[in-house]
Amino acid sequence: MMQAARSMIVLGQARRPSPPPSAGEGGPRRGSGEGKPRFRRWLVEGGQAAPSLPSPVRSADTLPRRGGRVTRRLSLSLLLLATPALAQEAIVTTQLGNAVEIVDLASKRVLHTIPVAGAPAGIALSPDRARAYVTRPEGHGITVIDLDSQKVLSELALPGGPLGVGVNPKSGEVYVADWFAERVFVLRPTPEGLSLDGEIATGQSPSGIAVTPDGATLLVANRESDSVSVIDVATRKETRCIAVGTHPFGLTLSPDGTRAFTANVLSDDVSAIDLAAGRETGRVKTGQRPYVIAFAGNRGFVTDQYSNTVTAFDPATMQTLGTVDVGDHPEGIAATRDGKTVVVANWGDNSLSLIDPESLKVTATIETGDGPRAFGDFLR
Amino acid sequence: MRFRTLAAVAALATVTFAAQAHGPTRQKVSESIEINAPADKVWAIVGNFQDGSWIPPVEKTEGKGGNEVKATRTLTLKGGATVQEELAKYDAAKMTYMYRIDKVDVKTLPVNDYSSTIEVEGNGDKTKMTWRGAFYRGYMNNDPPPDLNDEASKKAVSDLYKAGLQNVKAKAEKGS
Repeated sequence: MMQAARSMIVLGQARRPSPPPSAGEGGPRRGSGEGKPRFRRWLVEGGQAAPSLPSPVRSADTLPRRGGRVTRRLSLSLLLLATPALAQEAIVTTQLGNAVEIVDLASKRVLHTIPVAGAPAGIALSPDRARAYVTRPEGHGITVIDLDSQKVLSELALPGGPLGVGVNPKSGEVYVADWFAERVFVLRPTPEGLSLDGEIATGQSPSGIAVTPDGATLLVANRESDSVSVIDVATRKETRCIAVGTHPFGLTLSPDGTRAFTANVLSDDVSAIDLAAGRETGRVKTGQRPYVIAFAGNRGFVTDQYSNTVTAFDPATMQTLGTVDVGDHPEGIAATRDGKTVVVANWGDNSLSLIDPESLKVTATIETGDGPRAFGDFLR
Repeated sequence: MRFRTLAAVAALATVTFAAQAHGPTRQKVSESIEINAPADKVWAIVGNFQDGSWIPPVEKTEGKGGNEVKATRTLTLKGGATVQEELAKYDAAKMTYMYRIDKVDVKTLPVNDYSSTIEVEGNGDKTKMTWRGAFYRGYMNNDPPPDLNDEASKKAVSDLYKAGLQNVKAKAEKGS
């Protein structure tokens, strides 16, 4: 479905000032207080067999990438590093468990659990993959974790409701969306952690964040404004505002960095944006309440929170390829560096589902702490 | 009678544009009970989406669509408050269904984006019934007042579930 006519361009749009910082801090969240509930899988109508399709063609240029973080050069250099770099880890925010877990995808075990108060939700990794930046929407701030020592390096308090987070692949700058306002904080990396270096005006309830591979353009999904802000990183100003579906939450760049995709929570679809054209160019229907998108090879994958499925789609044709039954309330999703596994965080039943992107089958399930969200770039 | 009585709802007046948004932390509640009756008997009490009479505060159930997905029902509670709900999944063979609240006043139940699952598991003459919920707190903006924060919302749902499960147990174990 083409939505080109709905696009709009807003230049030099006046912005009202952001609300003042909230006073006080929300208390740390508690877990459900019960033993781990036994959840039963819910089959969704018509959600099984994957059509047989040619295998995705892969090259260094089509490595999975979220938020433009993995440049071709970086990917290659990572691949050339010694074996530890190939050990794939998932860095999972377990929001109700108030922790960040480091999960080894090969052995399918939680290796480390790092306590992080304040309902940790969003996550992004530094360009060198040595640090994790974790947002705490209830504790109002961001926590910097050193992934090699598995320790909290520092914390920075932020006003509002820090939720979405992204990293500039060139400068290492960190952008944090304030869910309750119309702004993104700009944070500068320091040896100790992060320091606040200003903010950028966005639409309402900024959510998912991505940065183009050249580090020049920041993209922000504005959930309440049904739009994507295109922001010039150098001037820290919105240059375009692109209309998309209803309540875009997750925002992910295509592997080649030329298109952006939003998961539209209320219109049950994914919008494709052509960045050069600056407008929405297509949509694909999803399950109920789509949340976050990932790319593996030449396929797109979106978590359907209410359907307990992942919908696979072809980003070239914007056609659905099939659905995969996963756990309860799937949220965060990302593809491993080799593009051979899609990892999904199931908030409801405290697990990760590992999906083979070609067969569209779940190959493994890994138990996690309470309420895994992993909203962002969480695979190392 | 309400699902829950709340005193400090005046704070809601301070909700600004973010009223459509929800808090950033979805909560979950799960309650179970063991019932000394076979599963069929328990399912006969709770398995009809168009009959919410096993939930203690419910006085009347009106709806359409039976037990088909997208069926709707309006529960009228003792005292007059209403809750509008929609069936999302239903599997009689597995004795389970899931539904969502489409509309409820936070004075009645302090939740947003609420979904709920009923599960009946038989084991001979005994049955385990589980009632689970996923929802955001009653206050949708930052820094919630105490009566609409995560803890208060979880307690309200948990209390409702416990009362409902106890009622089902009493009904099912009462004989025939």
